[in-house]
Amino acid sequence: MSIKIRDNKIKLLRIDLSTGKNRTEILPDSWLKKYLGCKGITTRLVYDEIPAGTDPFGPDNVIIFGTGPMDGMPVGMGRTSIACKSPRGCIAEGSAGGFFGPELRRADIDYILIRGKSEHPVYIFIEDSKVEIRDASHLWGLTTDETDTELRKELKDPNFQMRYIGPAAENLVHSAPIFGNLNQAGGRAGCGEVMGSKKLKAIAVRGHHGIAPKDYDAFVKAYKEFRKKVDIKTSRDMWSPIWTTYGAPILAPVFNDAGNLMTRNAQEMSWDWKKATGISAEKFLDDQVIKSKACWCCPTPSCQKLYKVNSGKYKGFKSGNYWAGQPLTFGSLIDNDDLNLLLVLSGLCNKYGLDIFHVGYTLCWAMECYERGLLTKEDTDGLELKFGCKDHDGLVDLIRKIAMKEGFGALLSLGCTEAAKKIGKGSEKYCLSVKGQEIEGIAERNLLMVGLGIAVSEVGPDHTRFYPPYPCNPSLMSREELEDLGLDLDLKLAFDSRNPKQKGKLLRWFTISRAIIESIPSCVFLIRDTLGLDMRPWFELYKAATGIDFEYSEFIKCGERVMNLDRLFNVREGFRRKDDHPPYRFAHEDVPNFGYKKLEPALFDPMLDEYYEANGWDKETSIPTEKKLKDLNLEDILVDLRAQNIEVK
Amino acid sequence: MKSLELRYIACVYPITGKFDEIYETNAETVRDLIKEMDVIYGGFVETFINQETGKLNLNTMIYYGERNKPTKGVLDLNQKISDGAKVLFW
Repeated sequence: MSIKIRDNKIKLLRIDLSTGKNRTEILPDSWLKKYLGCKGITTRLVYDEIPAGTDPFGPDNVIIFGTGPMDGMPVGMGRTSIACKSPRGCIAEGSAGGFFGPELRRADIDYILIRGKSEHPVYIFIEDSKVEIRDASHLWGLTTDETDTELRKELKDPNFQMRYIGPAAENLVHSAPIFGNLNQAGGRAGCGEVMGSKKLKAIAVRGHHGIAPKDYDAFVKAYKEFRKKVDIKTSRDMWSPIWTTYGAPILAPVFNDAGNLMTRNAQEMSWDWKKATGISAEKFLDDQVIKSKACWCCPTPSCQKLYKVNSGKYKGFKSGNYWAGQPLTFGSLIDNDDLNLLLVLSGLCNKYGLDIFHVGYTLCWAMECYERGLLTKEDTDGLELKFGCKDHDGLVDLIRKIAMKEGFGALLSLGCTEAAKKIGKGSEKYCLSVKGQEIEGIAERNLLMVGLGIAVSEVGPDHTRFYPPYPCNPSLMSREELEDLGLDLDLKLAFDSRNPKQKGKLLRWFTISRAIIESIPSCVFLIRDTLGLDMRPWFELYKAATGIDFEYSEFIKCGERVMNLDRLFNVREGFRRKDDHPPYRFAHEDVPNFGYKKLEPALFDPMLDEYYEANGWDKETSIPTEKKLKDLNLEDILVDLRAQNIEVK
Repeated sequence: MKSLELRYIACVYPITGKFDEIYETNAETVRDLIKEMDVIYGGFVETFINQETGKLNLNTMIYYGERNKPTKGVLDLNQKISDGAKVLFW
């Protein structure tokens, strides 16, 4: 049987869950040249399709799943962008790897846009041009792994790729993401909650088209160059060997010694060395790993792993993924050095469909509140919720309670920001959150660009917007090479992570270039060697894949356009400079023992000014200027903002 | 004689077979220290020093920290080392 190779038209499948109808439309070809694909186009669709002031849980909010031209090719890594309006009012957009994106493209679809609400649980079935909304009453309430198993049985074809939610998203628990391939979460900023509000349990897709680059020879040539930058033997990058062998949890001891390991709700920034190495990747690999499991064609096989707890009371517990966030959220933040417990708490978040950062940071916030007497046993259902809590069964059950909104879990299910509003008593000072969203794993007072990046991130804290957060080695590129690329950066200054100068400019470039990578799409965790500064290897791959002929400067401008779209959505929803700030603790407390200063206005504001100025945004309001919008050919948005009585200077 | 806290993780952990040790040395610089480590464990010079340039290999990293001072990534292998310092090889 011959395989039909699909064309490069951009195909959008619209599904209305209120009416049960669907239709496919072709988006303008020019959008590839303007937004590249994936994140770029989903962000544009979010702006266009969600009216200002839309109720996030109402039928007019849409949820979009987007692929891009590289999906299905060995650079795409299976990335899928998931976007909607967040329950916190800002844009929610995040991506996940796996295999869903390529399968969707094989079905000859690039984007799925879902609006409306179903009255009963449903799932969407897609097999090439066949699209059905099917009853999911039998799946509602199942955990993510149970859903995966049941749906696979029902579909009778192991090649279906799926995205689904767990009970947490069904119950509209704060920040619940969307899962796939058992343990891969995406759309952390509340996309799962919105999917749950639509009573949409899952999407299953199977396609039979082939995918090929427009210019095969050029693609192979560009791909070989790309591999030199990421492969273990040829990459000039300190993370390449480590990522390839151990994966991200190796960061626990690295962060520990650099004063970056947030401990006991970031009251301290380093932990006991023995504890940090006890939960690190070396131990994990020795004791727990069943096998590595990479995303579509990824050359970094150790990024994800399936594991099984092999000793103790939770012996036999299976789950997957141990990234940088887990040793932090269920390790140092709550002062737990029991690797078995850590893997169970993290794995349960996967099963219930919870966001580990929401749970970890809210749990350690609650522990600090408990130790300060702001919460008591009466509040915690009898749990002695101190740091280093020895009631492991109590903690395990608390994860379930958060997902089910039961007892004390109901308070924590709100996330730390809303929970602090409920209990008051000054507890908001201990929330590690920005824009209502819990932060992630990277320290802010040491790595000043991170402090700035987390504060301005449109979706709430999201390090993938500027990954890697560690400045590249300044000897990688000369000043002349940077100038050739149009980059006005002093790498030595940028490398000095505690010098506030150049951090605004550096962050701007990182955000633009990462927006490009998430739009073509590929995975930001593959930014190795010079791939985060010199975008030409990505440009060559994109041109060969799509056959689009345009200038490098236009390619870069696409990234700038996309990162501006993120901000413009938020501007229309009322977000301004006042919303771009670090968490209270980081703005008010120095880091003892390491000499890192708090991000007080005297330190933080000049970095913020530099960032806005470099972007061409008004420093008082953070709104992109008329000149910038015209430069980016976003005149239609200028008109729209003014129609909403928003002053654009 | 200086007393250093040496730490080994990631790809260095299999070379030493341990995460840490207290080490007494007369080494003046990070480069001297790497050479001493190479005699004990083997593989340190090859791992950390680029044989063509004599500089730190770009796919490795060394963190150097003194008490109450920010820990820094080592860029120059001729950087001096002080008594009581923590050196993390990875």
